[in-house]
Amino acid sequence: MTLQTTTDTLPAPSRFSVRTVLQNAGIGRALLALIIFFSVFTEHFLTPNNITNILTQITINLVLAVGMTFVILIGGIDLSVGSVMAFAAVVAGKAITLPGFGPAEAIALAVIAATLTGVLCGLINGAISAYWALPSFIITLGMLNIARGAALQVSDAQTIYSFPYAFEEFGSAMIYGVPVVFLVALVLVFMAWFVLNFTVFGRLLYGIGNNEEAVRLAGQSVRRYKIAAFTICGFTAGIAAVVYMARLNISSPIAGIGFELNAIAAVIIGGTSLSGGRGSVIGTLLGAFIIGVLANGLILIGLSDFMRQMITGVVIIFAVILDHYRAKYAAT
Amino acid sequence: MVAATQTAAQAPAHSTQFLSVERLKKYFGGVKALDGVSFFLEQGEVHALVGENGAGKSTLIKILSGVFPYDHGAISLDGQTYRPQSPHEAKERGVQVVHQEFNLLDHLSIAENISIEKLPRNRFGLLDRPELNSRARKALDAIGLTDIDVKAPVSTLGIAHRQLVEIARALQSESQILILDEPTATLTERETKRLFELVARIKADGVTVVFVSHHLDEVFEICDRVTVFRNGRTIATDLIAETTPDGIVQRMVGRQLAGEMVSGDEQKDFGGVALSVQNLRTEANPTDTGVSFDLRYGEIVGIAGLVGAGRTEILRGIFGIDPVRSGEVQRDGETARFSGPGDAIAAGIGFVTEDRKDEGLILDMPISANISLANINSVSQAGLLKFAAERRQATEAGEKLKLKYGRTADPASSLSGGNQQKVVLAKWLARDPKVLLLDEPTRGVDVGAKAEIYAILKDLARSGVALLVVSSEMPELMTLADRILVLAEHQIQGTLQRADFSEENILKLAYGQTELAGGNSQ
Repeated sequence: MTLQTTTDTLPAPSRFSVRTVLQNAGIGRALLALIIFFSVFTEHFLTPNNITNILTQITINLVLAVGMTFVILIGGIDLSVGSVMAFAAVVAGKAITLPGFGPAEAIALAVIAATLTGVLCGLINGAISAYWALPSFIITLGMLNIARGAALQVSDAQTIYSFPYAFEEFGSAMIYGVPVVFLVALVLVFMAWFVLNFTVFGRLLYGIGNNEEAVRLAGQSVRRYKIAAFTICGFTAGIAAVVYMARLNISSPIAGIGFELNAIAAVIIGGTSLSGGRGSVIGTLLGAFIIGVLANGLILIGLSDFMRQMITGVVIIFAVILDHYRAKYAAT
Repeated sequence: MVAATQTAAQAPAHSTQFLSVERLKKYFGGVKALDGVSFFLEQGEVHALVGENGAGKSTLIKILSGVFPYDHGAISLDGQTYRPQSPHEAKERGVQVVHQEFNLLDHLSIAENISIEKLPRNRFGLLDRPELNSRARKALDAIGLTDIDVKAPVSTLGIAHRQLVEIARALQSESQILILDEPTATLTERETKRLFELVARIKADGVTVVFVSHHLDEVFEICDRVTVFRNGRTIATDLIAETTPDGIVQRMVGRQLAGEMVSGDEQKDFGGVALSVQNLRTEANPTDTGVSFDLRYGEIVGIAGLVGAGRTEILRGIFGIDPVRSGEVQRDGETARFSGPGDAIAAGIGFVTEDRKDEGLILDMPISANISLANINSVSQAGLLKFAAERRQATEAGEKLKLKYGRTADPASSLSGGNQQKVVLAKWLARDPKVLLLDEPTRGVDVGAKAEIYAILKDLARSGVALLVVSSEMPELMTLADRILVLAEHQIQGTLQRADFSEENILKLAYGQTELAGGNSQ
């Protein structure tokens, strides 16, 4: 007998049905379509200057979304990344403006301070939600408030500025028109891609997202991996804080409000399932691009920022519908 | 109605056909799920559908219940064309299905679940609770569940009672045809008996029952006719009175079964004690003494008992999944304290769990990834996966266990039930376990794959592995085990040696008795 067919597989779609279109509408193709559309209908979209703009604009969201991908892959969510980013930026701002350090030491200190702050917040999120098996939605909602409050407390609600010139230079540096900060984000994407696809850790994260109990009964410490995913998400929030400071040369305690939602949107548009277990960081990269290209192109086309926001919302909903069909027909 | 059952016993005339299916075909893409299915049902008969997994029974049921449309052929019900577009339409026409997987809402009450399709309203348009509860009471009383509170949430019920509630729900609407899809898979003997009494009563009311089962004994116990499926086709329909279990099995598999199902009484020498359980009590065990037994290398010990007797709890306690309240587990004579499955695995123990979809497999992930899950360190180095090694491991395991699959990269969900179970086995065998715990190792597995799994387990024992097998199927335990521990109410009621093996003896002990036919308990 040949391969058994399970009887609960669903019918394969006929060639030109709505289903086929939905299934095959890859996120890359959608992005390409958007780029072509805006190139045709606006004058300035495909100019070097504008491309640089887009890359700069999506960098912070991309960095946050890379970490968010880990958390969503295990079926969690992290609502705190925007606040954690602000908290990390304020702590780093305090560090970088400490008297008695040269520019190089000051910058190193700031980077360490920002990432440590992010890692610590992520660790707390992960440890609490994993140890007591509580929904991460609530825990990170708490952390959202804690980190925002901490940012305001530490900074005394004041914006911190006057950073070393070298830091500012790093924030606006370009290589062939590509912002260096964007390259940093790309390196993160690559690292995440490698970890998720080629390591035991990545494999088990997918496993946990799909069937936590099976992974636990196979003798793996599910808790430890969950905590690690949240810690990575906190780490990227710390990196995002560094990028934010370098770009704007300030540390504001009210930075990053709502950033968590954009990061989640990028992950979901990128095809990662909100229930975990399915998705990729490459999708997240494309998702961040779609949000960025939409934002930029719609403004160029002459739509108001309000309209842009509405359309982004429509895209998110559409992405989830798409995901629904992908999941449903994945078996065939 | 009496007339209807009588005609069923005779060679049926064409006019009594109540539902007829002719040359039904159903394709999923290029795959032929049904490739010519023809049979008919008569009013008031109990009709069995049997066949290996993937033979087409489930697809047929889904078509009859309006989940899928069909591609070719014809179905007529009561003389009219039957082509349900939705489960709702199927129900309107009187076709009810009790699925293998339950469709109950855990947090709602039993009464709410029973009326969920048509909740009663009072004259203000609000939910009419008294009516709701009295309807449920009536529905449960009708199937003999008089001792259950209809206001209790479904989550408080055991798996067997859930099944009965599902049947109560299906029956309270006007049913002409009731389809039971492997209804006894999760039931103990006693509960099965109750179900069969119920089926007899339904049949007497003129309802046609379609019965899907992997247990031929059951088919012979309650069915009037049986239709055999193979590879998406109906092979034959027989009157039960005119056929034998062997005849049906041969039709199902199209070949003679190997002698694996019967086993000789050879004398075996076992090794030292691999696992010793002493007064083990998990949280679920209300007794003072707990359970104690030894398991030797090369020995297969079976654990029998009714659902709720504490069989699975013993395995979970040994494996470190559930906290142990008192007592201890010794591995090779040394006290073991497992704080989790990881420790148990490190001590050379494997656990093939009961529920492969929830606990055993990661369905969406590749076959190779499922096989490497418990010993991922052997296919990785410094945290990096070695894909070639992983593939090789899967291919080798596949060959050894006669796994039928496409590619090792295909998701586990692409396999049939029997092959999925082999993947779960392969996962643990890849670790070379010294002690293997198995909970219902062949549930939902077809006859052919069952025999293959038995052969694998016996080979393991021969090579020195100690096996502890929990099963609700008595023939399975009698085939596999060297010794059977029978549990009743969380205690070992008795131990049967091979010479004393009989379903009667197991049942007696399981029901709390100690007097055995032809032998004594120990």
